[in-house]
Amino acid sequence: MYASQSIIAVLALALSGALFCLVLPRPHHVLKTIVGVSVVELLLALNIWAAVLGPNGFVTAADQWFYIDAFSSFHIVVLTLVFALSSAFASIYFTHEAGGLVFTAAIARRFGVLWLGAEAAMLLVLMSNNLGIMWVGMEATTLLTAFLISLHPSRLSLEAMWKYLIICSIGIAFAFMGTLLAAASIQSDGGAGADALFWTKLASAEAHLDPTLMKFAFVFVLVGYGTKAGLAPIHSWLPDAHSQAPAPVSAMFSGFLLNTALYCIMRFVPLVQHAMGQDFASGLLIVFGTLSILVAAGFIVFQRDAKRLLAYHSVEHMGIITLGYALGPLGGFAALFHTLNHSVCKTLAFFAVGRLGQRYGSHEMHTITGALRADRLWGVALLISFLALIGVAPFSIFMSEYQLLRAAVGASAWLTLVLFLAASGVVFVSALRHMINMVFGTASRHDRGGRDGKLAVPIVVVAAGLLLVLGVWMPLSFYHALSSAAAVLAVRP
Amino acid sequence: MPAPGSFALPLCALILAPLLLGIVNRTKAVIAGRRGPPLLQPYWDIAKSLRRGAVYGEATTWLFRLGPVVGLAALVAALLVMPFGGLGAPVSFSGDMIVLVGLLALGRFATVLAALDTGSSFEGMGAAREMHFSALAEPALLLALATLARVTGSFALTPVYQSITIGAWADALPTFALVAVTLLIIALVENTRIPVDDPTTHLELTMIHEVMVLDHSGPDFGLIQYATALKLWIFGALLVGLMVPVRSGSAWFDGTAMLVGMVLLAGVIGMIESAMARYRLVYVPQFIVAAATLSAVAFIIRLV
Amino acid sequence: MFPLIETIHAVGLLTCFALLATSRIGACIRWLSFQGILFGMVPLIVHDDGLTTRVLLLAGGNIALKGIAFPWILLKLRARANYNREVQPFVSFVMSILCGILILALSVWLTQEMKPALAKAPFVMLDSSIFLIFVGLFLMISRRNALMQVIGYLVLENGIFVFGVITVVGTPLLVELGVLLDAFVGVFVMGIAIYHITREFGSMDVDRLTELRG
Repeated sequence: MYASQSIIAVLALALSGALFCLVLPRPHHVLKTIVGVSVVELLLALNIWAAVLGPNGFVTAADQWFYIDAFSSFHIVVLTLVFALSSAFASIYFTHEAGGLVFTAAIARRFGVLWLGAEAAMLLVLMSNNLGIMWVGMEATTLLTAFLISLHPSRLSLEAMWKYLIICSIGIAFAFMGTLLAAASIQSDGGAGADALFWTKLASAEAHLDPTLMKFAFVFVLVGYGTKAGLAPIHSWLPDAHSQAPAPVSAMFSGFLLNTALYCIMRFVPLVQHAMGQDFASGLLIVFGTLSILVAAGFIVFQRDAKRLLAYHSVEHMGIITLGYALGPLGGFAALFHTLNHSVCKTLAFFAVGRLGQRYGSHEMHTITGALRADRLWGVALLISFLALIGVAPFSIFMSEYQLLRAAVGASAWLTLVLFLAASGVVFVSALRHMINMVFGTASRHDRGGRDGKLAVPIVVVAAGLLLVLGVWMPLSFYHALSSAAAVLAVRP
Repeated sequence: MPAPGSFALPLCALILAPLLLGIVNRTKAVIAGRRGPPLLQPYWDIAKSLRRGAVYGEATTWLFRLGPVVGLAALVAALLVMPFGGLGAPVSFSGDMIVLVGLLALGRFATVLAALDTGSSFEGMGAAREMHFSALAEPALLLALATLARVTGSFALTPVYQSITIGAWADALPTFALVAVTLLIIALVENTRIPVDDPTTHLELTMIHEVMVLDHSGPDFGLIQYATALKLWIFGALLVGLMVPVRSGSAWFDGTAMLVGMVLLAGVIGMIESAMARYRLVYVPQFIVAAATLSAVAFIIRLV
Repeated sequence: MFPLIETIHAVGLLTCFALLATSRIGACIRWLSFQGILFGMVPLIVHDDGLTTRVLLLAGGNIALKGIAFPWILLKLRARANYNREVQPFVSFVMSILCGILILALSVWLTQEMKPALAKAPFVMLDSSIFLIFVGLFLMISRRNALMQVIGYLVLENGIFVFGVITVVGTPLLVELGVLLDAFVGVFVMGIAIYHITREFGSMDVDRLTELRG
């Protein structure tokens, strides 16, 4: 109920929270504010999700400028979940920053504004019906998150931020080009006016989209938003940005920013399939997805920094999700399931690595040994998240990858299947080797990092529990939600 | 328009060409504040060289004696296909612009062979530089001519230049402007003018063309000086034919307009030489490629 | 009649080649400013609705931002780094020009592919826009100095602006919002980033940003 108002409320809350952070005097005020705001956002998102799964199938607001169907509401829930978990973790992480990375009031205010601003921008992307506004939101996320990477300016973080800024700005410019081409493709039919870029209008069965222009539009959009989504070969900013940012920011990046960009690409897929038929978009998505998986697998083998390792895992999983979207409705279901699983799992992994990094003073994997003995809670979290990440049963990532394999068999994509299995095998072995070195063994002497706050245990329990539960049981309502989300992407004949 | 042009045109060119050199030198002198040599000085220089005896080095062969002769012969042959604005050339056939470029290349080749024949390192250095810059300048010239051919729709020089009227300019202003700049730059390069080469330098390490002809003397040197003048005339005709779109139909009027244009061009070259310094040799390829680019741009925008 | 569109096209192409071949940053910024003013005039010429307020605002805004404001900001940024005033390219100038010619051929081909679907757009302007986009991309990749990368980004934005003006008619505020927002905030953010980088690294040479590898 009150779904339309929830939409406006969600956006307004994030924006006002961001502005509120400007005036807060102490760091822990900021941290409490972001936790509070993100939890409320999560509740509002669940409300919207429930409304969407009702009779209509969608919710609109502001005269169709905001349009939320099953696909977007699922993503909104995942977004707010990731933000809630990451905000809670941030309150623990930043309380214990040491040395030259002190979380001063000024940095805290900057963090709060950028953090909630980024959440608002991502919500704008997910909720808007107008493809142009969607692009504006993505642009805003690029600019806001750039400064989150270099929250503590140092040589390495500035380098990461500059690469991120340049590469993603090029990507966003290309995506804008694609949006313009999409707008032009409907105008060739004589359609114009204020709602020319509404997705609902472009995706409806009556729209005549010019095939040539839509083809170019999709290529530009795929390359452009694909840059932000971390698809190879345009993923080169990803390892640097994820590894140099503070752990909560990395979690947010991997947990949701990449998925937002993939969401934008997927919004264009029904349009181009409508104009050009099934195979064009699927073929391109398969190529990029497979390439991402292979490249990531190659780099994972010889990583030395834990956060860089997780960043390459993100590239791999984005590739898997893209592959899923390309393999028909069953693949789409698997991809959506994988989105949730990967987001939760990756955030947990970044939390563990971040906190352990604080304890051991470095993120290099050879310095982190015996985590299970040094810090019981985060060592267990590390163990669980890594096992889940490489696809060990009974965690949920195993289920979603298994469903992906079924979809691949169903679509007779044999080469893709073989490559995927080979890459997954390589990743399994390498990541397991890294993890065993980190988790087991004797702990080196350390006494840094302080005590965990109250929220540490709930965070780990919620995340790990979700991974475990979804691995063995999928509630029927959740199943319906995912199916209707996948149905949004289906081709209209 | 006379369809097969008369042979009067090349004859006029043969007579008037050294005058262009004289105008250039006079302009440079006047700008520098001197009185300068008389306008007819190049004629006296050529005559003086022809009267002297030639000295041939012991290491040279028949190639050395052949060089200046072939060079001059090629240029005179080039004059036969070269129209003078609206006035047609004596010989005109489709594809004669390629023949023009080929004849210029032949002349250059003969000069370079003669230079290499001496076995001296200075001439070798000059020959290397000359070939390097010409390798870049020839495509530029071909592109410029190709663009003109594309615009006017013909592959023979005479019809091309005859259809460059004021109307044609109004239609294809950017294209013609770009080609004109290219031809000016190529003219500066091929005639070894500043900013590519200094024709008055005495330092062997900075010469390009001068150093190639260092060993020629007597009548050979006279032939080379005359050939230089003819080359300037040919490139000048290419450029002025484009820049002066006077095609009234009357031979006298067109011819006079062209002559005025040639004089002005010589003055402009003199001014450029006075105002600029020579580029460093490493920048010259960039300069020439920029000229080629202008033509390429003109060609591509005309392609569509 | 005077071919205004073709002249803008030809001069625009030349500004791109000038950017590819110029070796001093100050000169590049001036070429960029000239390019911004030149292409800012495109809305005035292409629009078939006549000179409405919207068209005037669009052209005026673009000329003010891309022709005056951004170059001014870039010159200020360059003044901070008073050591290296030279563009240091990864790709030499002659090779850059030759690549520029290849890019021109590519953009003509692409324009020919797209033209049948975009009936109202002038061919030469379509060609200019695609050429600008690819030249901007090339500049960003092939130059070592952070300021030159920002200049390349602005050239990219110019191309997108021209493309938007000639293809999208009737969609309120899309093109304007998109490009001006993008460029404006982008330049600001990049400017702040360059400030931090210069302070931390002591130079704007992005070739030194190579510690993160693998």
